[in-house]
Amino acid sequence: MLDIKNIYKNFGDLKVLKGVSTHVEKGEVISLIGVSGSGKSTLLRCMNLLETPTFGEVWMEGKLLTPVDPYLHAEVIQASNTYKKLREEGLSDEEAVRKIKDEDLLHEKHGREGKEYTALIKKIYQENHLDANLARQKMGMVFQQFNLFNNLTVLGNITLAPVKIGMDRIRKAKRAGRPVTETKESVRAAAEKKAMDLLKRIGLEDKADSYPSSLSGGQKQRIAIIRALAMDPDVMLFDEPTSALDPEMVGEVLDLIKELVKSGMTMVVVTHEMGFAREVSDRVLFVDEGYIKEEGTPEEIFRHPKDAHLKDFLAKVL
Amino acid sequence: MSFSTFFSNIGMLLSRYWHVFVLEGVKYTLLLAAIAVVGGTILGALFALGKRGKIRPLKWLIGAVVEVVRGTPMLLQLYAGVFMLPRIFPILNEVDDIVSVTVVLVINSAAYTSEIIRSGIQAVDIGQTEAARSLGLSERTTMLHVVLPQAVKNILPALGNEFITVVKETSLASTFFVGEIMTSYLKVKGNTYLTLECLTIVGAIYFILTFTLSKLLQRAERRMKHA
Ligand SMILES: Nc1ncnc2c1ncn2[C@@H]1O[C@H](COP(=O)(O)OP(=O)(O)O)[C@@H](O)[C@H]1O
Ligand SMILES: [Mg+2]
Repeated sequence: MLDIKNIYKNFGDLKVLKGVSTHVEKGEVISLIGVSGSGKSTLLRCMNLLETPTFGEVWMEGKLLTPVDPYLHAEVIQASNTYKKLREEGLSDEEAVRKIKDEDLLHEKHGREGKEYTALIKKIYQENHLDANLARQKMGMVFQQFNLFNNLTVLGNITLAPVKIGMDRIRKAKRAGRPVTETKESVRAAAEKKAMDLLKRIGLEDKADSYPSSLSGGQKQRIAIIRALAMDPDVMLFDEPTSALDPEMVGEVLDLIKELVKSGMTMVVVTHEMGFAREVSDRVLFVDEGYIKEEGTPEEIFRHPKDAHLKDFLAKVL
Repeated sequence: MSFSTFFSNIGMLLSRYWHVFVLEGVKYTLLLAAIAVVGGTILGALFALGKRGKIRPLKWLIGAVVEVVRGTPMLLQLYAGVFMLPRIFPILNEVDDIVSVTVVLVINSAAYTSEIIRSGIQAVDIGQTEAARSLGLSERTTMLHVVLPQAVKNILPALGNEFITVVKETSLASTFFVGEIMTSYLKVKGNTYLTLECLTIVGAIYFILTFTLSKLLQRAERRMKHA
């Protein structure tokens, strides 16, 4: 489903992620845990390109969402002028590739590299690239601060993206001369019906015409979740979905997420709710100092932690 | 001069020169201000978007225009539009003064409005944009349907103030005799030599205009708040 390949993320001089790789299988539930500021949100936001990784690639179902990272493709490195020069200086193939990777030599010279190198990067990109907007339509995200659109009603919040994207679909089909079965009205009607069904599912259909400012935190977050579900995502990303809630509202949001787990939704959840992580996760990743320091089943992580920092962390939060 | 002659003079001026003050003066002032504000808001929004955009030279150009307009007196800008630029580009001699004056007013208003809009956009929580983008919406749709509606609500009071400022600033255009309220003053004073009475009348007209506008804007704001 999702393939995270050697992600680095710098904010100026601050190196937040220093080479993170992982894979999210279809139907898998993954929890990201770690101290605050360790880069959990950054990693999650790199998955749907809200943050652009400094290096590394993100793949979704065989499609590349980021620019090509030359360091992940040996043949690209070998086609560069820098590589040729190092070989002429007497380094072996392996030494030259290693040196270029370790010293980040290509990054400095992107613009001035050889024709073949540039062509290879372009080719990989063109063959595999998927537009970030299209990818995001299949990746729902839920934020700590809910982020419901303040200027729209609950129904407007849920239908905005399905309607706008439906309109785009119609426009594109027309331009390409393909037969168009949908109309503006049918797209809107379908989106509204779906939104009302989802609202019924969480028992908030009477809030359809309310504005977000009139809702409780728990209601806002549950609506934020179904707003993402209205796009029929293949994977859901949660960034501490209960951290901004009053304690008495945590339960209703966790229950909804658990319901999603049961329905087989693929998800990645950043959470401080260790009990929840333990209960629902197939795999738990401990993020620390810019790396995934330890990963394993809930049993392995919570019962038999190996890393010293993980032990400290668990001692504090459990 | 007694108060009674003062007031009877005012009465006389109003009855005899009503059309000059109101039909011409108020009409042109409101027309100039409306064009300046509508044009200024549209151009200002374009400036604001351009300055947030990715085209470097355009950002610099807009930045320069905004800084120059905000850093020089309005009257000087009017002189530049009517006298200086036609010297440099003789083609502009063909252009009517009132057109030049209007263009200067629009650009002036756009410079101030663009800063208002820019800060209004910045004041919208970044989480709103992130939520929209995370659903797969384009930058354009996000701006149009999520960010701008909230920004407009935030900046309405400041835009209203800008409108009122522009109404008053159109008085500077009288330097070029374009027919707004201050031009009416110059005309009537030239005929009657009743300086004080004429000034009182135009003062009252400006006050009534701006006061009415500010009340109307307050009502519009209140209505926006409930939406
Ligand atoms: N947009 C940003 N600009 C600069 N620094 C950032 C930005 N986003 C996050 N950071 C920094 O990156 C580090 C990791 O942040 P984050 O991923 O939010 O951590 P976590 O979610 O684990 O608490 C923090 O030190 C944070 O201050
Ligand atoms: Mg975080």
